[in-house]
Amino acid sequence: MIKNIFIEIGLIARFTGRFFIEVFKPRFEFNEFLRQCFYIGNKSFPLVAITAFIMGLVITMQSRPTLVEFGAQAWLPKMISVSLVREIAPVITALICAGKIGSGIGAELGSMKVTEQIDAMDVSGTNPYKFLVVTRVMATTLMIPILAILADTISLYGGYLGCNIHGVVSWDLFWNQVFDTLVYADVLPSILKTFFFGFIIGIIGCYQGFNSSKGTEGVGQSANSAVVISSLLVFIIDLLAVQITDALNLN
Amino acid sequence: MATVNEHTPNSNAPEEVIKINDLHKAFGDNKVINGFNFNLKRGENAVVLGKSGSGKSVLIKLIIGLMKPDQGSIEVLGDKVETLSTSELDKMRVKVGFLFQSNALYDSMTIRENLEFPLRRHWIKKSTNKNEVDNLVMEALTNVGLPHTVDMMPSELSGGMRKRIALARTLILKPEIILYDEPTTGLDPITGKEISHLMLDLQKKYNTSSIIISHDINCVKIVANRIVMLIDGKCYATGTYDELEHSTDLRVKQFFE
Repeated sequence: MIKNIFIEIGLIARFTGRFFIEVFKPRFEFNEFLRQCFYIGNKSFPLVAITAFIMGLVITMQSRPTLVEFGAQAWLPKMISVSLVREIAPVITALICAGKIGSGIGAELGSMKVTEQIDAMDVSGTNPYKFLVVTRVMATTLMIPILAILADTISLYGGYLGCNIHGVVSWDLFWNQVFDTLVYADVLPSILKTFFFGFIIGIIGCYQGFNSSKGTEGVGQSANSAVVISSLLVFIIDLLAVQITDALNLN
Repeated sequence: MATVNEHTPNSNAPEEVIKINDLHKAFGDNKVINGFNFNLKRGENAVVLGKSGSGKSVLIKLIIGLMKPDQGSIEVLGDKVETLSTSELDKMRVKVGFLFQSNALYDSMTIRENLEFPLRRHWIKKSTNKNEVDNLVMEALTNVGLPHTVDMMPSELSGGMRKRIALARTLILKPEIILYDEPTTGLDPITGKEISHLMLDLQKKYNTSSIIISHDINCVKIVANRIVMLIDGKCYATGTYDELEHSTDLRVKQFFE
């Protein structure tokens, strides 16, 4: 069991290493990269937006009573802005994308593998790793930070509405408090870690799909493993990120 | 204007287009190809017959360079496959078509895009314009009798139609050699027969040489000039359909009963 885990880690590391070799070699699959960016970014946006809005609203409504107890409800925009921007919006975006994009990539490539489409690509003068893996990993690495930034904004808007359900906070006051509170040390590490989230979601989805076997059952397993492993790795990266920011006195 | 590798029989060309010498391939302890020798002559249709799991598909994947042999050599149109670089393999694959057992049509692309894919990816001629590509696509589809499917998706087609489209995609580069991996598997006997006749017609039209992996005796009877029996990873017997049908060897005979 433990041996298998180490073998799997080794295989993922080798698969990831190949990405860094292939990504700099021509020919560059620019059209496929743009297609994947559109698919990953555009098609995931509604789900990310709805989830971020709800999270912003719910966190605000649930935090309010505690702050009211201490007479500190005026601090509500400050508090939710830090928690949403630093942690909740990026992680929720990554988890939604791990579920939607990671499983999609795992199932798509898995299905291509078992129906020999990847071999067909190979005999058609196309490096399947470059065409399928490099483009998807680059697209997730680029699009998930963008989705996370949008999720930050939308969740804050949810927070603004949450503040106004049981109280009155003007639009200007809310955003002034948010921007007074947030500093670069809150925003930059939060955005930076989403690049790693995106990379890991892409690479794990592709690895699982590319190594799919056992027919349709294998495709299901690939999709499932892609979600489980990438979600777990998102949390591990998050844990590492907080340790790094802590060590740098950025928390 | 011709843009792909249109070829005519060349008096200087080697008579044998594929030469396989002492080929070995194992997966763990399972030796699927174990000292296989075989030559394919220009214009010949050779069928490789063997039981499921006997290594027939592995053999043609070794020929096209999708797998590496453990030992032995494969020469395709004068190129030693196992020594070719990736770009040299790509050049070799322009001349060798491969029809996959599962058709391997790209689900996310239309039939037109499926057929254009090998044309565009192999960069046959960088100046090939859209009209020329369209003409080649329509020619390939007309050859298989399905020009009306050009803007359809693979999921909208029947099994037989998908097989024809896969054949059209294989033929679009006008290869000199075609490797067929069980071309009639999963088709009803009538459609299987139609595909077999289509393969034969296209072979005559483009003067291709072929290796056909098949269990389907009806298909074998129609297309084979020569049959190679792959048993125990070796070329166990070879001959025409009639010769092998009347063989007294029990292991050969059982395929024709």
